[in-house]
Amino acid sequence: MDRRDFLGTGAVSSAGMLFFPGNLLATTAKEQNKQRLVQPLPYKMDGGWKEFELYIDIHTHEPAPGFEYHTLAFNDIIPGPEIRVNAGDKVRVRFTNRTDLNHTIHWHGLYVPWRMDGVPFVTQLPVMPKNEFIYEFVAEPEGTHFYHCHWGTLMHMQAGMFGSVIVENPDDSIKKRFPYEREYTLVYSSHDTNYIREEMNSMLERMKQRTFLMKEGRFTSEQWAVFDSKEQLMERMEKGYKPPYLTNRRTNSDLPQAQWFTVNGKSYPSTPYLFIKSGENIRIRLINAGAETHHLHMHGHDFWMVADDGVPIEHPWKRNTVPLTPGKTFDIIVEGKNRGIWTFHDHDTRKVTNNGLYPGGNLLALVYEDLPEEELIISKYSGNPMYNPNAGMTNMEGMESMEKDKMARMNKMMFGQDKLPKIALDE
Amino acid sequence: MRKLIYIVLFISGWGYAQITPEFEIGAKGVFSGNLILNSDESSAVSDFSDTQLLMGLQQKLYNDWRTQFVLGLQFPDANSNLGEVFYNNIFVRLEDKKNVVKVGRTLAQTNLNEFPTLRDDDAQRFTYALNPFSDGVNTERDQYANVLEYSRIFKQRLFVSVHGENFYDSREPDDFRLNSMGLTLMYRVPENQRWNRNVLQEIGLSFNNYFTDRPGYSNDFDASVKNVLFSTTANLKPDPINFIDFRFQAIQNFGWDEITQLDDYFDYTRTESTTLFGTLRYLKQKLERPHYQFSMGAGYKSLSNLQTDSDQLLFIANGFYRLGENFDIGLQYRYTENSGFTENLFGQNEHRVQLAIVYSFSKIFNKQFGDREDLLNLEHNYIK
Repeated sequence: MDRRDFLGTGAVSSAGMLFFPGNLLATTAKEQNKQRLVQPLPYKMDGGWKEFELYIDIHTHEPAPGFEYHTLAFNDIIPGPEIRVNAGDKVRVRFTNRTDLNHTIHWHGLYVPWRMDGVPFVTQLPVMPKNEFIYEFVAEPEGTHFYHCHWGTLMHMQAGMFGSVIVENPDDSIKKRFPYEREYTLVYSSHDTNYIREEMNSMLERMKQRTFLMKEGRFTSEQWAVFDSKEQLMERMEKGYKPPYLTNRRTNSDLPQAQWFTVNGKSYPSTPYLFIKSGENIRIRLINAGAETHHLHMHGHDFWMVADDGVPIEHPWKRNTVPLTPGKTFDIIVEGKNRGIWTFHDHDTRKVTNNGLYPGGNLLALVYEDLPEEELIISKYSGNPMYNPNAGMTNMEGMESMEKDKMARMNKMMFGQDKLPKIALDE
Repeated sequence: MRKLIYIVLFISGWGYAQITPEFEIGAKGVFSGNLILNSDESSAVSDFSDTQLLMGLQQKLYNDWRTQFVLGLQFPDANSNLGEVFYNNIFVRLEDKKNVVKVGRTLAQTNLNEFPTLRDDDAQRFTYALNPFSDGVNTERDQYANVLEYSRIFKQRLFVSVHGENFYDSREPDDFRLNSMGLTLMYRVPENQRWNRNVLQEIGLSFNNYFTDRPGYSNDFDASVKNVLFSTTANLKPDPINFIDFRFQAIQNFGWDEITQLDDYFDYTRTESTTLFGTLRYLKQKLERPHYQFSMGAGYKSLSNLQTDSDQLLFIANGFYRLGENFDIGLQYRYTENSGFTENLFGQNEHRVQLAIVYSFSKIFNKQFGDREDLLNLEHNYIK
């Protein structure tokens, strides 16, 4: 068993033991939690159009305390801000590329006109450095969708170029069947931060060379690796051009192997909480904008599957684990029927790690706001006599002769405020 | 014994929990057929000297520092007296954004430039400030030393280094004391920003002071051999496809006045001399990779304090063509001209033609953090 397997096994056995920070039920915790949720993108009206502004730039991102990396981000946040419109709205997105790299925006799951689909060289040319492109479409169909860059997708998407698009239906069949007031958008992704760094560096370097050649009028199809037709490609091959992948060739071991797993751009312990009350329904919109599958499991509850790729499911069904594959969106309804603090996490427990260490990744919690404070007290509600701040561990081998004052100090350290949840960073 | 077991357990437990470092491997294989005319040295069918292997392990430390351990070995010339293998790099480097400390054996700062020659030592008498403690049997003792260096980096480009060295002393091979100290100022454009830099890639000045035992002098400074190096690299045509640069280095050796004739290599390195060496290089790139390269260079060494005119001249020209990823075929011609004492010491004028295949490879595995000179770190905030 190698180290990664061991950590994975450890995570399986201990996922249920994960604790979360104290004062979770305080107002300040809820205020702070807003920063962990997707941020809405404001719009202004221009005639009949809802006009949004998105830009892309290089950004320093911190998924968890103490770890930073360079990445690409829409409007300097990961995920990019959420575009929320009504079905049938006329949407205009003014996209500005502030980087020295090429980009586009693809509207994943939306029925946009084909020239607005954001696939470079198929529906449009890439949006060049410091250039602007205006996307226009009518918002349809209803449901949970997302947008992402479609240039250098393998790198640009995991770097952070994605965000949610919610098309609301005022006559929403899901809301009629499961009345709810609160909803959450959770955008999942996975990142090989080393791959991102190396690719961004080489792309920036390459773009400097290409810009130089463009300025001098010496940039060629071979250098760009873009050809007008198959015939042109064949002709260049006969003259010595040897594809595939002359400039960007890499071996299998150079392909990304994600080691950071995020929800809304954050990894545990910076992941968001999902607040709920007993008797309340909440809607959770799950989006996988990454390249890994996430087997999401809710503790203590079954949830209703109500939409698949944004399409409402006519006959919803219950389950407690859902495989969220790359590019997929699911909407689920959680009924507040089991008061407590419950983890909601990837059951492929390699993905509840940060750079190989558990706990981390996309671990988060469903938190009941009406949970009485006293239920958080460790010693009061535990059936195990060991969980008594005065009991000590004198039955443990080697601890028999522990002095009383040292025992008290140890208990103080271990129980702290005698209250759940705690932050556990190493197990 | 019990204590020993505890130590073993401690270390093995440690080993289990450790983070695998970044692992860098570099290899260079130089295989040439040599045709040597008018020389005591014989021609060779297969010369693989200067072939080397380099391994580096790098890791982040606490408090934003990084460390690197480097181990490298080289196959020296057959008559070098260094054995089959010479360990040319064994050092540890500690660095953060603005400071670099290097301890161990590596290239000394007695050469400030990298010239485009087939082997690193092809123009060694013109490109290195030579080790005054060496008997000159090999070139490695001029190039490598046990060093203790501290460099401070200002504004990403200006390197100020204070360094001390223990150069190999052929007369006292077991003396590992500091026998040289120096100061180097170097303005260096980061590697990935050089190709489109207008004119100046790098410029530097270095002062070296060797603590030699000069007969009749008790003061260390007066008794020492001193030299000053000036080096620069200029882009004549900064272009990603047709790139031309010019490299130049001058070494002024402030030798001992009393050496007016050359009886041995010690005299050669300790007498006053002025050395100039420069190369002009043209590099053709195809699809962002090297395609072929031509260069030519010339060196002149004046030994002005000798009784007889003993100046030296060198002309070198070469071309390399890339056969495939990491493989080049190359042809090099070198002419050396000695006169007076240097002819006695190094032999007649020599013509040397070499046809070579060169393999070079360098890659970092298990990458974990960015280099100081990454474009992202240089242009978009340095990440500690």
